[in-house]
Amino acid sequence: MTSPTPLSQAASPVVDARDLRLTLGDGRAATEILRGIDLRVMPGETLALLGPSGSGKSSLMAVLTGLERASGGALHVAGADFSVLDEDALALARRGRIGIVLQAFHLLPTMTAQENVATPMELAGEKDAWERAGAELKAVGLGHRLTHYPTQLSGGEQQRVAIARALAPRPPLLFADEPTGNLDQSTGEAIIDLLFTRREETGATLVMITHDEELAHRCDRIVRLADGIIVSDERAGAA
Amino acid sequence: MQLRAAWGIARRDLSARFSGLRLLLVCLFLGVGALAAIGSLTGAIRSQLQAEGRMILGGDLEVEVWQRLLTDDEKAFIGQYGTLSEGLRLQGMASTANAAAPVELKAVDVKWPLVGSLVLESGEQVGAPPPGTAWLAPGAAERLDVSVGDSFTLGTRKVRVGGIIAEEPDRLSEGFQLGQTVIVPLDLPEAAGLVAPGSMYQSKTRVAFNSPYDGEGVEGAIAQKFPGRGYDFRTAERASPGAERFVSRLGEFLTLVGLAALVIAGIGIGLGVNSYLEARRRAIATLKILGATSRDIVTIYGLQIGAAALVGSAAGLLAGFAVTPLLASALGDLLPVETGLVFDPLALARALAFGLLVALVFAAPPLLRARDFPAMALMRSRVSPLARAWKTYALPVGLGLAGIVALTLIGSPTPLQSALFLAGAAVLLALLWLLGLAIRHAAAKAPRPSDPILRSGLANLHRPGAATGSLVTALGFGLSAFVLLAAVQTSLAGNIARSVPERAPDYFVLDVPKVGLAEFRETIETFAPGSEVTAVPTLRGAVIAYGPEDDQTRVEDLKELPEGAWALRGERGLTYSPTLPESNSVTAGTFWPADHKGEPEVSVDEELAQAIGLQIGDTITVSLLGVERTARITSFRRIDWESLGFNNVFVFSPNALEDAPHNFAATIDLPEGRSGSGLLRLLIDAFPSSSVIEVGPILTEARAILDQVALAILAAAAVAVLAGLAVLLGAIAAARAARTYDTVVLRVLGASRRQLLGLLLAEFGLLAAVLAGVALALGTGLAWLVITQVFDFDWLPDWPRIIMVLGAGLVLVLGFAIGASLPLLRARPAQSLRAL
Repeated sequence: MTSPTPLSQAASPVVDARDLRLTLGDGRAATEILRGIDLRVMPGETLALLGPSGSGKSSLMAVLTGLERASGGALHVAGADFSVLDEDALALARRGRIGIVLQAFHLLPTMTAQENVATPMELAGEKDAWERAGAELKAVGLGHRLTHYPTQLSGGEQQRVAIARALAPRPPLLFADEPTGNLDQSTGEAIIDLLFTRREETGATLVMITHDEELAHRCDRIVRLADGIIVSDERAGAA
Repeated sequence: MQLRAAWGIARRDLSARFSGLRLLLVCLFLGVGALAAIGSLTGAIRSQLQAEGRMILGGDLEVEVWQRLLTDDEKAFIGQYGTLSEGLRLQGMASTANAAAPVELKAVDVKWPLVGSLVLESGEQVGAPPPGTAWLAPGAAERLDVSVGDSFTLGTRKVRVGGIIAEEPDRLSEGFQLGQTVIVPLDLPEAAGLVAPGSMYQSKTRVAFNSPYDGEGVEGAIAQKFPGRGYDFRTAERASPGAERFVSRLGEFLTLVGLAALVIAGIGIGLGVNSYLEARRRAIATLKILGATSRDIVTIYGLQIGAAALVGSAAGLLAGFAVTPLLASALGDLLPVETGLVFDPLALARALAFGLLVALVFAAPPLLRARDFPAMALMRSRVSPLARAWKTYALPVGLGLAGIVALTLIGSPTPLQSALFLAGAAVLLALLWLLGLAIRHAAAKAPRPSDPILRSGLANLHRPGAATGSLVTALGFGLSAFVLLAAVQTSLAGNIARSVPERAPDYFVLDVPKVGLAEFRETIETFAPGSEVTAVPTLRGAVIAYGPEDDQTRVEDLKELPEGAWALRGERGLTYSPTLPESNSVTAGTFWPADHKGEPEVSVDEELAQAIGLQIGDTITVSLLGVERTARITSFRRIDWESLGFNNVFVFSPNALEDAPHNFAATIDLPEGRSGSGLLRLLIDAFPSSSVIEVGPILTEARAILDQVALAILAAAAVAVLAGLAVLLGAIAAARAARTYDTVVLRVLGASRRQLLGLLLAEFGLLAAVLAGVALALGTGLAWLVITQVFDFDWLPDWPRIIMVLGAGLVLVLGFAIGASLPLLRARPAQSLRAL
């Protein structure tokens, strides 16, 4: 297992992207998704990526989390140079460094809540994965649902499990892609409260993709994307 | 990631009911089960033959010699090793006032049987029959229409039926018999005038050791003490080599057929694993998002597939173990011994190893492809199919194949034939695979039918993800095997029923006295004018030495007989002839003139000459009733063994042998349509010491054996068809989502259920038509090769039966295909559209 590189001093960005590019397809079918992104995210920051559909938000997140390799540019995430790593090395680099919460939860349907939360830590070879998973589920208010399968949980509960799964390994960096997109309004608000509370308690940096202006304003910083480039980058209070 | 952690994740993700991996389970269950049953049965028979060798042989050692009993000095020498029991074997004719039958006479002394006991139908356990009495096999009693207490005639003697045989302890070591057994006291054949100098009989002396001697050691000591006496030995360890060889060969062939079925099952395994992993794309992508590497993915899903493979194989082993008695009862009389439930760990381990290796070969490619499923699949709806990097799975697939070949060849009694079978099966599979691709390609290129249902059916054969190639391979192989078996079996039966009787004589008659030969011909001619009688002198002798006159090789000095030199083993049939025998041709040297008078000459079979390096001008010395005779080789001959007449490896010039006491053997060909009824009675009265072998009953028995062998092979091939059906069901299940979508859209557009059923019939009907063509062409083509090239028989298939077998197979395929697809017709459009 690769232990996460400790975050360096506050001055070092946890995400440092320079001229990041992503092109999908070859030749005439090639489509430029990201066209030179420069982005620095500091430790402990909360940042909202805002933009219309097709602006490149999800693709940017895929590249920043190492799910997709950039076609060009330089990228350092939590001390690792993502631009030189292959897919397997990126998977190893994600372990313990990056937690991801997705819109559609993506829990493993054949596993209980506790098993779902324990899985990333088990993949990283953590000995106390099981206990930590239980504790994290209690922290998100699901202490009574440890042995439930995803189909036995409500949408809100499923997203709580997903948040617990993302935070249990204590990653310095947390990504959330439209975390309330599949939830009704009141459940969504509760989930966002939980996400921010747990982020604060764990001290993780949060990068959240959303198209919800109001939600974006709960972050310290708002970065707007359009057509694959950053069109604005401002403190939330300045908006 | 540690294996334990991987197993933890794998176990959670693996439903206890193996949902999604059932095709793999079923395929391995079928294949491993078939191999386990076949291996257990043949292993059990072999071990039983070995364990009961002493009982089967009726002693520890048997010394066989032709046309004489052992001499006193031989008996004294052999007797130091244990108790002796003497016996004779000869063909005889039994008769009553109303019936006559050729019988296999077994004359035994009072010590018989040295091991075990004979059980009569009355339940009584007995030994040798009392003087003037005989124990009769049920068939002999039936043929003569006699029961206990009745009398019948053997040669010149009246004999009383003392009992009907229920169990004969040493029956198996007697081998294939030309008549029903009649056991009589040792002195009866001579008293009845059946044994005279020159008569064809064999003496068998058994020894029950008084100390734990090594059978082969004693054998060597006897041969050394009495060189050139023409002994044939048999030890308890190899009491019934013929039966052992038959079981080994049949077992091996069935194993190969079972292995072919397992390979078909392998196609199902590949399909099953592929669709299982496809269904888990999202789970794989999620695991990758959580930090799983591609190696972790292979480990996790490899463990799942391995666990399922073990469970499927274990269930197969259990089923194979349980059905062994059923297989044994299906083979019935074909098996030399009775077997019950048999636990043969080696056979089970072999079946398991085959199953796991086949699973490795077929599961490795989809598993290794799955490691490359991108995590991005979660963020985009669908990612384009991955290029197949065959290099990545060449190693596991290659290792698996090498393992299968090695496992097949190791322990195979005929490795070359096994290798050829494997190569043939591989070529056949490759051909079918190519054919499947061609059909898919042709379906794509074919003009689009105007009927939308037919068009949709045709499109299903070539749509992306269509399993046409796999289906043609899997079902085509099984159906071709069915057609092949039906064509071979009916052709062989046709030859036995038609061609063989045309070529073979109606009767063989042994021990026609030399002085009575003319009378014999006359008797036959009077009985059926126009009959063809061929008679040849028959003598038995052993080759003592061969080679250049001044540098002969002594047979007893050979450590091992050269390959193909079987004629040097023990005593063989010898004959003499003034002219070249019919259906023989001289390949080297010259055959002596009819009035040859000079040095004794001999003509030798060219295959034996080649095997032991004989040259024209060399000499051969044979021992004939204890007298050595040497003759010069003046020609080599090619023998047409299929002429079904008398054929001898050694033919001497008359002056070499005619002074030795001997009889004649004759063949009788009755004019076409002339019944042989009454001939037996005529011959018994005129030539009481001669014995007749009827060809008709032997052919009937041969057909019965052929039918049973065919049944066994058909059972093994049925596993291939079942595996093919499992593949079909798997393919339908794998394509269910796409098919449901099509069906629902068509329903929305107004298609009725009847029309949708028409679509299914069109699609599977097209597939069935293609399969019928493939199976008929491949199956009959291969059968033609086997019949005309391997067996050198006439091509006489029974077409209606072949078409019936093929039709039954196709009905099965269509029935399964439509049955498995029926749930699609019940899909409710609104509900399905929400789910899609």
